[in-house]
Amino acid sequence: MAECPVCGADVELEDDAVQGELIPCPDCGSELELLETEPPKLGEAPEAEEDWGE
Amino acid sequence: MKIGLLHSLIRKEEKLLLEAFAKARIEPVMLDDRKIILDFRTPQDLDVLLERSINHSRALHALRLLEGVGVRCINTSEVARICGDKLLTTAALQERGVAQPQVRVAFTEESALAAIEELGYPVVLKPAVGSWGRLLSKINDRDAAETVLEHKTVLGSYHHSVFYIQQYVEKRGRDIRSFVVGDECIAAIFRESEHWITNTARGARASNCPVSNAIAEVSLAAASAVGGGIVAVDLFETADELLVNEVNYTMEFRNSIDTTGVDIPAKVVAYVAHEARA
Repeated sequence: MAECPVCGADVELEDDAVQGELIPCPDCGSELELLETEPPKLGEAPEAEEDWGE
Repeated sequence: MKIGLLHSLIRKEEKLLLEAFAKARIEPVMLDDRKIILDFRTPQDLDVLLERSINHSRALHALRLLEGVGVRCINTSEVARICGDKLLTTAALQERGVAQPQVRVAFTEESALAAIEELGYPVVLKPAVGSWGRLLSKINDRDAAETVLEHKTVLGSYHHSVFYIQQYVEKRGRDIRSFVVGDECIAAIFRESEHWITNTARGARASNCPVSNAIAEVSLAAASAVGGGIVAVDLFETADELLVNEVNYTMEFRNSIDTTGVDIPAKVVAYVAHEARA
């Protein structure tokens, strides 16, 4: 479990969650990044940049 | 066997790949492109590296530097260089005779306008470097052409004054995305949308597309033209042939596994492991 940095909601984490993983906040829908796993810490995911893509 | 995974954020695709690696009993060496420091000298203890960066600029340069210290990369920096720039992709396809829409390139507002008029409306203006359907302009008439060209010149960085002008192809609401892994076209999807841009990143709906001989042939030809490896090929269907719109070197496939019934991440991992043993 970790706290959403945007709305403060508790965000349930999968057992196999990995550092750097993108996780949507179930409450406010913000796109979050799992910055650390032990203890779990969430941050706002970075915005898309001009050269992001496939 | 030591396999590196170059990544940024861990998206659905990277998570699926990590699961596929685990099933294959391979623990990848994680290289986060936000943390690595490359010094042009220090070798990496890796048999092969799979690139999954989100930023084209990071992927391109990291791959080149890792290759410089002897790492076998999938895909190579050359594939990233060509696929990451639509102009270079068009040149590579042209040189190998792979069917594609007509394209003109020009470098000033005046010459670009002349090129557009020569191709005939509508046309599509695209940034040479870009993805997910961003900054695509469908130009229906001269008024729009003049405005967009001016905006691109004034507002964009110098990249935006390399005008990549593509013939507009009527797609009748869909295009095809095919997936090539090595020398196999493993799957394809239709991407359908009411909008003329059919990226799933822009809301297009994915459905299974049987891989016909024609789709496999043109997809493999396109993959080979850009240097091969693991690529996704975007195709336009016209009355008489399939045209290659672009080739993607860090393919997204989250919407394409259930739709096609093909375990794409498993195929990717198997290919990478094979290359590591080669």
